[in-house]
Amino acid sequence: MSELIAEKKALSTILEKFPFLEGKIDVQRRQRIISSPMERPLFEEVFSFVVTDGGFNCFHLVIGVDDGENLGFIYVLSNQDKVMLLLKQSAPKSNPAIKSVCATFPNALWHERELVDLFGTIVEELPEGPTYPLPDGWPAGNYPLRKEWKVEYFDKINMTYNPPATVGKEEE
Amino acid sequence: MAKNVVIPIGPQHPSLKEPACFTITLEGEKVVNAVVGTGYNHRGLEKACEARSYLQDIYIIERVCGICSHIHSTTFCQSVEELAGVEIPRRAAYIRTLMAELERLHSHLLWLGIAGHEVGFDTLLMYSWRDRELVLDILAMLGGNRVNYGINTLGGVRRDVTPEQIEKIRKVVDIVEERNKYYVQLALSETTLAARLGGIGKLSHDDAIKFGAVGPVSRAAEVADDIRVTDPYSAYDEVPVTAITDNHADVFGRTVVRVLEIMESVKMIRFCLDNLPDGDIAVKVPRKIPEGEAFVRTEAPRGEDAHYVRSNGTDKPDRVRVRAASEANWHGMKHMLEGDYLADVPIIIAAIDPCYSCTDRAIVLDNHDTGKQSVIDWRTLREYSINWYKARGIDTGKIKIADSHLIF
Amino acid sequence: MAKSLFEKAIDWGRRKSPWIIHFNAGACNGCDIEVVDAITPRFDVERFGLMLKGTPRHADVLVCTGAVTLQTRDRLKRIYEQMPDPKFVIAVGTCACSGGIFDGCYCVAGGIDAVIPVNVYVPGCAARPEAIIDAVVKLLTALENMQKGTPAAPVDDNVADVSALEEIENAVTEASAAAVHSDNQPADSATTGSQGGEE
Ligand code: SF4
Repeated sequence: MSELIAEKKALSTILEKFPFLEGKIDVQRRQRIISSPMERPLFEEVFSFVVTDGGFNCFHLVIGVDDGENLGFIYVLSNQDKVMLLLKQSAPKSNPAIKSVCATFPNALWHERELVDLFGTIVEELPEGPTYPLPDGWPAGNYPLRKEWKVEYFDKINMTYNPPATVGKEEE
Repeated sequence: MAKNVVIPIGPQHPSLKEPACFTITLEGEKVVNAVVGTGYNHRGLEKACEARSYLQDIYIIERVCGICSHIHSTTFCQSVEELAGVEIPRRAAYIRTLMAELERLHSHLLWLGIAGHEVGFDTLLMYSWRDRELVLDILAMLGGNRVNYGINTLGGVRRDVTPEQIEKIRKVVDIVEERNKYYVQLALSETTLAARLGGIGKLSHDDAIKFGAVGPVSRAAEVADDIRVTDPYSAYDEVPVTAITDNHADVFGRTVVRVLEIMESVKMIRFCLDNLPDGDIAVKVPRKIPEGEAFVRTEAPRGEDAHYVRSNGTDKPDRVRVRAASEANWHGMKHMLEGDYLADVPIIIAAIDPCYSCTDRAIVLDNHDTGKQSVIDWRTLREYSINWYKARGIDTGKIKIADSHLIF
Repeated sequence: MAKSLFEKAIDWGRRKSPWIIHFNAGACNGCDIEVVDAITPRFDVERFGLMLKGTPRHADVLVCTGAVTLQTRDRLKRIYEQMPDPKFVIAVGTCACSGGIFDGCYCVAGGIDAVIPVNVYVPGCAARPEAIIDAVVKLLTALENMQKGTPAAPVDDNVADVSALEEIENAVTEASAAAVHSDNQPADSATTGSQGGEE
């Protein structure tokens, strides 16, 4: 078992600033630090801290996940020592609003567009541009990576989504 | 309507993403703005993975990309193995490494040919693809298929390597090395090629980090970021890896990095063959994977390949996220194109090594002064660029190929 | 109905030098690489007179790879409509034949035949260059038979040939019927093309 020196160092920098995160953010294995989901105001504070003072200045990707009640967003950052930090944000499905990180990391653009298309996230301050990656003519309000969205009910020819309850009605 | 009609000649690359069309704004012959349009190849694999078992997913993931197929399945298998807490046998790790390096060989040779094609040096395309066939034969022998080898499985590999196969691999590797020496020489000392590739598609050290470039694109800008070194997986903790870097930070640098990497791969393949440990090739992995999450990075021929897998205790994953290498490199594309001449556009795009089909797409030109739009396809643009350079005395078609390397 | 010398010359040209266009409708690239492989030295499909072209307006044969994604669906139709008659389609790879491993994904409409009529199917994941060459040769033989007016005369005892021939004939009549409308009303012929896509 290696000592995980770089990992512990990076972790202690974060914990020094945010002592209440103790236990919520930990070293998973070599080169991985994983946090538990945080609500928006706290997440933004932690995120800007790790980027500016924590040394995590390299952005890799953001992963969207469906946690049932909430949507989760996992931001993957890394620092000089190649330690990857998986910082999680969560937002309620009813109003999944998050703030864009494009101003700091231009390469987040496509990842955030993907969150908009596939999860129905509201990304504030996202630069204008084409949607990605869903095709033209995709019915609004359908977010395919949400768990409740089932591919069986999607009519690809007419591009409509017909969950069982509404199928009968539409035929009339 | 007319404004948006772009004929996507061969949209793009496989992975869930990757563009089909570019909108390029010109001022005279200079590119002042470039917008990358994407989404033509989005198939919805991530959702499909959630509905299938881990074992079935390997085969879907393998088909994210037909060129880096092995590395995608390796990454996925590794994530699942990490979740299940199993360690694969050393022999399996070595075989995975061997396959990965063979795949790198074929992918870089492929790229070399494409790059030659884009600059009007078609002889190189024919030569390097001919050499690539030899590597494909080996891959087909080991995995049973030329493109999607299907050699990975959860807990190890599906096929063993026999001593006779090792002999064959050695022979092919010798030939490829011999031929590649010539390509190295060509890339490093051929003045026409240097004049054609040098100074275009610049992406400086800082920009490479800022835009999150990966693989040869970032290594050509002196970012020594090779996952095989920084985060060793499979057998890379034992196999000696040297990260090749270059300080040109342009298309020329990317070419140099790639041809030198072929040499490195050859060394690594030999090392794997010499030190192949005995033992099993696979261990059993439970069907149901315990709850957890894993984020794994590997070094694909095109750069960092990252997979995130989350399990919920059943035999199907809860979430699979694939970030292919080319996807990371597209972010810097706009930056690389801006300020360069229209004639350089094809090779700059090809230089990040998007898979072949994605370089075969339509381009929208937008004239800054007149505000007029015109659509041209990839081939026209390529011909335009070759002639543009010919008029300036750089004709790659005239490069003589050394005869001594024609022995088959 | 005897053919004029001019028509014969065109027939001959079509048989001896078909121009192809390659379109990736959403493939994993494996098959695309194999298609390109087929024109490089080891396989060299150009010896059959085949030439890879950049624009559909010059092409006789559409070589299509990959399952059709919803985004490429309309583009594929448009490319097909732009090709001059008679036109032929080769579907390369399992996912071009049926959707293959991607069938059922939310963004995949199905195989190529869900959108446009297909003449020759080349299964395989990825289809080997040898298989692609075989498909080309079969198509050319079928074409020759059709030009001679010989009814279904397979090259060998492979059943696929008979159906390929019939399909070619159907496609030609269908496509020329469609082309009449498509000049000012592209949407019209689009529906003709998608008759296989009910599922
Ligand atoms: S048939 Fe297989 S190799 Fe060919 S494009 Fe489809 S998935 Fe890729």
